[in-house]
Amino acid sequence: MSMMMWTEKYRPRTLDEMVDQEEIVARLKSFVEARNVPHCLFAGPPGTGKTTAALCLAHDLYGEEYPNFIMELNASDERGINVIRETVKTFARSMAIGEVPFKLLILDEADNMTADAQQALRRTMERYTETCRFILIANYSARIIEPIQSRCAPFRFSYLRPEHIAARLKYIAENEDVELLDSGVEAILDVSGGDLRKAINTLQAAASLGKPIDAEVVYSVVGRANPSYVRDMLEAAMDGQFVKARRILRELIWRYGVAGSDLIRQIHSQIFKIDIPERWKIRIVDVIGEIDFRLTMGANEEVQLSALLARLAEFGQLIKRGS
Amino acid sequence: MSGVIWTVKYKPRTLSEVVGNEEAKKKLLEWARAWKEGRIPEKKAVFLYGPPGTGKTVAIEALANDLGFELIETNASDFRTEEQIMRLAGPAAASLTLTGKLRMILFDELDGITGTADTGGLSAIMKVVRRARCPIALIANDPWDPRFRPLRALCLMVEFKRVGERDIIKHLRRICEREGIKADWKALQFIAKRANGDVRSAVIDLQAVAQGKKVLTYEDVTWLGTRDRKKEIFRVLGNIFHADSCSRALTAARETDVDPDMLFEWVYENVPRAYRDPRDIAKAMDALSKADMFRGRIIRTQNWELGRYFTTFMTAGVAMAKEVSKPGFVKFSFPERIRFLSTAKPQREIQKAIAQAVKKRCHVSMKEATEKVIPYLKIIFQNNPEMAAGLARWLGLDAEAIRFLTADERKAKRILSLLEAS
Repeated sequence: MSMMMWTEKYRPRTLDEMVDQEEIVARLKSFVEARNVPHCLFAGPPGTGKTTAALCLAHDLYGEEYPNFIMELNASDERGINVIRETVKTFARSMAIGEVPFKLLILDEADNMTADAQQALRRTMERYTETCRFILIANYSARIIEPIQSRCAPFRFSYLRPEHIAARLKYIAENEDVELLDSGVEAILDVSGGDLRKAINTLQAAASLGKPIDAEVVYSVVGRANPSYVRDMLEAAMDGQFVKARRILRELIWRYGVAGSDLIRQIHSQIFKIDIPERWKIRIVDVIGEIDFRLTMGANEEVQLSALLARLAEFGQLIKRGS
Repeated sequence: MSGVIWTVKYKPRTLSEVVGNEEAKKKLLEWARAWKEGRIPEKKAVFLYGPPGTGKTVAIEALANDLGFELIETNASDFRTEEQIMRLAGPAAASLTLTGKLRMILFDELDGITGTADTGGLSAIMKVVRRARCPIALIANDPWDPRFRPLRALCLMVEFKRVGERDIIKHLRRICEREGIKADWKALQFIAKRANGDVRSAVIDLQAVAQGKKVLTYEDVTWLGTRDRKKEIFRVLGNIFHADSCSRALTAARETDVDPDMLFEWVYENVPRAYRDPRDIAKAMDALSKADMFRGRIIRTQNWELGRYFTTFMTAGVAMAKEVSKPGFVKFSFPERIRFLSTAKPQREIQKAIAQAVKKRCHVSMKEATEKVIPYLKIIFQNNPEMAAGLARWLGLDAEAIRFLTADERKAKRILSLLEAS
């Protein structure tokens, strides 16, 4: 078999192959038997098999040719309500050919849709029920508006059990002829926190180093995959080193192509982990919020974020003086 | 304030204005004339190929303009799955416009249509070409990609070569004349050499060094590569940072012909050099942040009157920020941002293309691909050429993407040679 990402190579193809989420799988199988699927809402943390379950369901329902009967959309990639409306409608209203009288529309990250877009979707779901069934996938079902929730059969995906993840990792390692030590398994379980995709990606990256995988190898891979640039940047700023902080910012924007809105989101969540007096954190969030607003008004993200870093450097100095 | 980019401002309107590539233009015109005169040529589509910045896209746009075709365009920024292409080009390819104008369909940046990200895209384009009743143009950098083989057979192949230095210099000279800039030949030659046949990048470089000037000397352009810059900008910066009143700071900016956008970059770069105290830096950066907001407003509303606030915050706002610092002699430095923009290829675009490929293969969003898959790809590409080559093939990654992931020319070469060998 040619080389591919192991997350895909070892992604279950059929519901039978899914080893976890037993209750959910059983219910989905009953849909396949009845040749009928209601609109569904798959909710749960990342890497717990939501997308896989949707694809397996499609496979069992339509057979090998299933890609012809489904459409995968990712709400976080489709800008604006119109795209969703147009694309979804065009797909939903055309008839399905074959023994199953409807197609499947898999809408990933549905909780990223604005309430407006969700409202628009609600109509479409109703109108084209005959020809198209929706599987909405979300991390947080609470972010899906009530009317849509009430039209969907709810499925709660829970974190995969560690022993299941461990078994999967060992199976893959054996298949790929990779030496995976127990300490390596433990370490992967530790860093992946129940997210199977993350676990398998970590395994593959670790395997690429070409040595037996123990805890040390795993942690070095994780360190490299999740560089702490944002934290480094914030620490430099809080230490009064504006120039250094700005240099890291530029690296992030220019070299790594991080968008300003993503950066400010990460800064906001990092601030609470920094060791400074609590009351300062709120003052800082106030500034972050202001800069977040200016990001949307301004012409240049780097200038706006630099202004934030400069303010943090000022605060850092004040904190040091104990005021 | 001059927000217009010169590559847009001086974009050729007619085919004859397109720089260089005479043979290609001739071939193109012959082919399009046939359409215009109602003779459907043997090959219904042209396939323009060649390195970036050699005028492929502008040639098609100019051609359409010359012959009065209505141009329908898609490029890599559009999703191009089969469905989307058929929706766009299917009906259009088969009919005239309401006004009886002939349509022309352009599929630009075909390199960016990965077999993976745009499912069925290429075969849909084939379909459109086969059925076409109107002229179709395809553009790619590398036409020898095996994926394009069936398309090549259907198309009139037109090569765009790197544009000669002399032609580029002539083009730059024309722009300078229209901008009222007296330019040294040596300066233009320096820019043209650096561009290596890429007209677009030459024009971008020219704007970076010459905008707002009356005279362009060789010295001026050398800071495209090095960090030397005319004394003028240092003088202005010194006056702004040392100014003890708003009006002095404003005058400093008014008395120079340095372009305000360029001046902004210099001020922004040098605030932490001129001021040392974090309080002053924060205040100055806040002024620049406000200036930038006005710039954003100007861009959105096209209300150039707001330019005065942009200038005020960037000069007086920064000058008044120094409550603690006493700037002495400052060694100003060249804006890193300009240097970066004029040399590097936008990494963000490359990363986006990779994320696009990952997205389709791995059932994840662009964001997840960027945050949760690409970091691991990087590790693999930096450590294991064999695995990397396999993944590169599976994802349909090009050399540029491989270079991005390895961040190391030698490793990238190794992976590329493995790809070729298999």
